[in-house]
Amino acid sequence: MTRILHVALRDFVATVATKGFIFGLLVMPAILGAFVIVGPRIFDDDAYRIEGDYAVIDPTGIVLPELRAALDPEAVARRRLEEFRRSLGEAPEMVRSMAEAASAQSIDEVLGPAPNVRLVPLPADTDVEAAKGRLNEETDGARHTALIVVHEHAVQAADPGGELGAYDLYVPPGLDDRDLSFIHRNVRDAIVDARIAARSLDRAEIDALLRVRRQASTTVSPGSERETVRGFNFILPVAFMGLLIMGIMAGGQTMLTSTIEEKSTRVVEVLLSAVSPMELMAGKLLGAVAISLLMIGLYLGIGLVALSSFSMFGLLDPWLILYLLIFFLIGFFVIGSLMLAVGAAVNDLTEAQSLQMPLMLVVMLPWFIWPAVSRNPDSMLAVVVSHVPPVNSFGMVLRLASTQPPPWWEVWLSIGTGLVSVVSAVWVAAKVFRIGLLMYGKPPNFRTLLRWVRAA
Amino acid sequence: MDPAIRMTGVTKTFGRMTAVADLDLEVPRGGLYGFIGPNGAGKTTTIRMIMSILFPDAGDLSILGRGSALDAKDRIGYLPEERGLYKRMRVRPFLRYLARLKGADGPDLDRRIAAALGQVGLDGVESKRCDELSKGMSQKVQFVAATIHAPDLLILDEPFSGLDPVSMRMLRDLILEEHRRGATVLFSTHVMPQAEEICEHVIMVHEGRKVLDADLGEIRNRYDPRSIRFEPLDPEADTRGLASIPGVERVRADERGLEILLLAGTDPAATMRRILDATPAACLEISRPRLEDVFVELVAGGGGATDAHRLRASLREAAEEAPA
Repeated sequence: MTRILHVALRDFVATVATKGFIFGLLVMPAILGAFVIVGPRIFDDDAYRIEGDYAVIDPTGIVLPELRAALDPEAVARRRLEEFRRSLGEAPEMVRSMAEAASAQSIDEVLGPAPNVRLVPLPADTDVEAAKGRLNEETDGARHTALIVVHEHAVQAADPGGELGAYDLYVPPGLDDRDLSFIHRNVRDAIVDARIAARSLDRAEIDALLRVRRQASTTVSPGSERETVRGFNFILPVAFMGLLIMGIMAGGQTMLTSTIEEKSTRVVEVLLSAVSPMELMAGKLLGAVAISLLMIGLYLGIGLVALSSFSMFGLLDPWLILYLLIFFLIGFFVIGSLMLAVGAAVNDLTEAQSLQMPLMLVVMLPWFIWPAVSRNPDSMLAVVVSHVPPVNSFGMVLRLASTQPPPWWEVWLSIGTGLVSVVSAVWVAAKVFRIGLLMYGKPPNFRTLLRWVRAA
Repeated sequence: MDPAIRMTGVTKTFGRMTAVADLDLEVPRGGLYGFIGPNGAGKTTTIRMIMSILFPDAGDLSILGRGSALDAKDRIGYLPEERGLYKRMRVRPFLRYLARLKGADGPDLDRRIAAALGQVGLDGVESKRCDELSKGMSQKVQFVAATIHAPDLLILDEPFSGLDPVSMRMLRDLILEEHRRGATVLFSTHVMPQAEEICEHVIMVHEGRKVLDADLGEIRNRYDPRSIRFEPLDPEADTRGLASIPGVERVRADERGLEILLLAGTDPAATMRRILDATPAACLEISRPRLEDVFVELVAGGGGATDAHRLRASLREAAEEAPA
């Protein structure tokens, strides 16, 4: 046992004490942080400015003034602020308090520059075809961004009880979707305002009647209740699956490369004079699992601190963390031990690529099945993948972190099949490892590996 | 007391190839044994079986009184033929790691490592990375790794391969020093003069079978001297008549003079007298039988001169191929 621990300690220190590992460990949080901080500036969606000349043909004569009022810069600014506050009301408490503390100027920065639009009224008898031509004219200044043709009966129907008209919109090629949405919304509002005014109704009263403020829901748990956090149930399965994959890959890849290095530098025979192949394999597995647990522990710790600081710690069931660790260990020993065997069987990393391809597919599979399993955790697909090794670890973690976790007996059945798969994988890996370590020259194919398993 | 190594009827095959066939071998405690044979004779496979890195298909092994080297690894030092270091590891952690794997831990381990490195002329390299060492330095570090735990049994597989003459001499002294300390030493080589120079006892193998197992002195006594070294007093002397002396098989000239090969059963003393009668000598001596000659006689004894010549050429070729 002491020898196993010495091997484990060397592999652990040799990996963890490298700049590459420390860099790799920090890269993930750094990328996430950069995405949150720098991302908005890079994408800079809010910096887009809606501007241009809108030509309007309004045979009703009352839609255009409403449109002009709607596009007045002050009115636009007021409306944007109201919409911002309304959407803020649905945000988590922490985000609300941060936003309320922000200045009006910083809110303007978040919302981006105000639209700058000029209306160009055209006579009601304007030839529409000729006006359309102006949309594609090359000359500066005279070109229109949009041509809005309000229907004659947009405000008053031709016959009592008849259908009301609307409007036609013509735009040049390449107009941004954001311009289109802006035009549609404002023309629609102007026509509605004109209709309300034509009927001598009170717009403010109608608005008040139509508005029902959307309240945040409250999640009631035994003994406690709290404001529902939307999105958490969506993010949690992905986060847990990501941790699982990252941990397994980090440890597996470490074992693969260190075994190849020991073989290619011929250190392995020196080691085999001091430890048995099984002690060497056990030590390497132990060292790699410690590396993976360090990585998972660090990211999990960061996640828990983040939850705690947003007062959302209570959202996470502690059993989930325990199950995550159990299924991580199952997945690690199944896939990791087979990666270790691949490392022992080949001479260099290039040769390892073809042999580890099936294992990589197993690790990639969860990314393809995640949406389906997460959305329908009780579906046939979800049940199958959470019980069939070697993907059952990923499948069961996705289901456990979903909104409809499986019954306890299913969880423990999956743990049971997982343990059987661990014993089988380690048994196969041990046989390949023992023979492969001293094999040089032509890399084995799958048939040769099977022969080794049968022969050892 | 049990011998350090005992192998009885050991056989190892790889597929259809028999690497070691029905091998009996015994190395007593405190012995200094050479395990010799050409490339592919089965030396490394035998050593790997002694070390329990490979397991025999048939036969029994006993190492330091145990049924397997696995039970005595802490008492065995091993320098494999294919040896290496962790490139990115520093020398002291590397030696510390291997020493601990061999059960040699303790507060004075670093001091022992420094002393062992000093003994092989590597003072101050403890903090160097292994990939910064020259080839000779690496091999010395590997020797230190094999002996840092003061093993009772030291097994060296082709220890001189790749060494320059100075390092070779130093390694020879270190091996002899380990032997004087009390360690049993078994080393393999395909360069027979090296074995001749160091060991007390020789085990020869060829194509997986043992062909000789004897003390060096016994070998010299057992095998008739078959050649006489002769240098004429007058370098210009006509020596053509020597080939016609009864009992002389042939005469071969080399840079040091003449080598006179005798027919089997010839009395060397009588032949020497006839040589002296024919040509005054500056030097006339019976050549000791070399291991190479013994090996060739044992392996190609019944195969004629062509087989012997071919075998001798392959041995020399292998010795020359060994990187210096």
